[in-house]
Amino acid sequence: MAQLLESIIAIVLFVCGSAIIVIPDRRWMLGILAMQYVGVFLLVSFSWPLEIAVVKLVAGWMATAVLFLAYSNRPFPGGEERLTTSVPGTLFMGFAALLIGLSMYSLMPTAQRWFLGASPQQVLGGVWLLGLGTLQLSFTRQETRIIIGLLTVISGFEILYATLEASVLMTGLLAFLNIGLAFLGAYLQMASSLEETQ
Amino acid sequence: MSTPILWILIPLIISGMGLFFGRYPRILKWSGAGIGLILGLSAAVLPINETFRLIFWDIQLSDQLLVFGRRFVLSSADQPIVLLLFGVYFFWSLILNPKNVPGHFTPLSLSGIALIITAYAVDPIFYGALFIAFLALIHVVLLTPPGSEPTPGVLRLLIYQILGMLFILFAAWLASWVGFNRGDEFMLSRSLVILALGFSFLLSIFPFISWIPMVAEKNHPFISGYLFNVYFLGIFIFGSRFLTEGGWFAQGIDLQTPLQLAGVIMLAFGGLLAIFTRNLGRLTAALVISEVGRSLLAISLFRLGFPIYFSMVMIQTIALGGWSSTLALLQRGLPDLDIQSAGGAARQWPLISSGVIVSYFSIAGLPLLAGYPIYLALGRGLNPYPIWINTALVIGALGLLIGGLRAFSVLIEDSGGEIVFDLGDRFDKVVIIAINLILFFLGLIPQVPYQIAQTITDMMIGP
Repeated sequence: MAQLLESIIAIVLFVCGSAIIVIPDRRWMLGILAMQYVGVFLLVSFSWPLEIAVVKLVAGWMATAVLFLAYSNRPFPGGEERLTTSVPGTLFMGFAALLIGLSMYSLMPTAQRWFLGASPQQVLGGVWLLGLGTLQLSFTRQETRIIIGLLTVISGFEILYATLEASVLMTGLLAFLNIGLAFLGAYLQMASSLEETQ
Repeated sequence: MSTPILWILIPLIISGMGLFFGRYPRILKWSGAGIGLILGLSAAVLPINETFRLIFWDIQLSDQLLVFGRRFVLSSADQPIVLLLFGVYFFWSLILNPKNVPGHFTPLSLSGIALIITAYAVDPIFYGALFIAFLALIHVVLLTPPGSEPTPGVLRLLIYQILGMLFILFAAWLASWVGFNRGDEFMLSRSLVILALGFSFLLSIFPFISWIPMVAEKNHPFISGYLFNVYFLGIFIFGSRFLTEGGWFAQGIDLQTPLQLAGVIMLAFGGLLAIFTRNLGRLTAALVISEVGRSLLAISLFRLGFPIYFSMVMIQTIALGGWSSTLALLQRGLPDLDIQSAGGAARQWPLISSGVIVSYFSIAGLPLLAGYPIYLALGRGLNPYPIWINTALVIGALGLLIGGLRAFSVLIEDSGGEIVFDLGDRFDKVVIIAINLILFFLGLIPQVPYQIAQTITDMMIGP
């Protein structure tokens, strides 16, 4: 039963990671990011005590909330850049995400040699997020998407690293990094409209 | 009281408070320079783990702080590094013209220095990679001042630093695993590859080099010059500690050849970029890339190379400070930093152009200027190694010299234009003259920076 649950969570993570790449609407994208953090929390909770694992969820949701607030308070809400608006573009990116998913799946037996304490589903969820986050980073030059790509990569890493080490300081620092990245994303969205002090 | 509180926590608190004074750049500049000086002096004179009297109080500075079960240690052996970092901060605060940089530059750069010291002080050392990632966040904010869009180079810097951090964390875990399972060659080689990848991201070694020219071309010259200087210094300091403390040497691994290979590649790229670039900003990138290459070569000499490395840091800081300040001034008088746009600049603004030329050729390694004797010492140190390393060192320097001559021949050509306006105020001119003189004198008396560097090395490693 636990294995089935883990498999479902890993698949949900893949779907979330792919949807973030494909969906052009930022509000939906952030909503899916919040859902992705639930999956990360659940996979981490198989390795860590619940009270430490929940830090991932809280930090992730805080990061998402910061990005969402920055998005909704933008001074020029009409001028949103969309990554893809055409059907072929969306299909291409969906196909690329699928390829990443398949290649990561084929790499899983090798990856499991590295993470001996992890279940196959944890490894799969981690490497899927790492791959999809990297794909997101390579597709875009837009600051919000880059921040979300980095958050996705870090989420994948956190799942894998949780199976290796459980340190309170490391957990806290990674949580701070997530929130720091979100604040940076918010700043980069706003920077051009901020008043220069000089 | 402990040294991490004094040199990490207090600067972080001060920099946080400084952010509220963004509208008073002059106050920030001088208070920043003062704080840099005080903290630098404290690193030079304060005894650690010994009681001393400060006015009315007896104080003992402990060398460590415990946070969530992890130690932050800054012992007396680390004092030279702290002094060097606050010295670099003091220098940049001193030469900055508050009219040219955004108000948050001084406080954020102080917090950056504090983060480098944190990355250096944390035990186990691999946690430092996380603080380097925080440093990248701060540098992205520094390079994107209010009122401007983030440039592609800045975003690439962010991506590379975060990926580098993840690789280093993972490699460090693998290293500890290998430590418990000696003889597992498969895991050892994998962990080395991941470690190399992590440091390649952090040090921007080929092919992760692209953000340097992009940032140098599109961002403010003074801020990008500061970033290159402090960021690479921080990474080298962290990297040296990571290799020595992390037990990588204990595994009997040959680190010299990869370091020298990476150094040669960076020197070749720096030289080629200098020859083919058409932008003065990208010349900064050529200088920085070459300097990373030389630093790698110096560090590859281990005990012998550390004095050379620290001498290079001192010369590079002064010269890069001069180059960035003068380039920032030139930018105000030119439509852009394309070399063709700068035609005749030396006739219009001779003092500023002298700063550009002296600073550039000091780093490039022109004889009689400050960099040359240090690079000569580096070449001598590399003598016992294969000839291709020294050849690359010479070719890299030649590339920088040729690129510089090509660029500056345009500066002195007669463009037929009249002097339109005066660039820079009295403060800028005093800074340029002072830096030019320092670079000349250090070229004549190279033993001064070398002896200081030797003292730093002796304090760190032992005589």
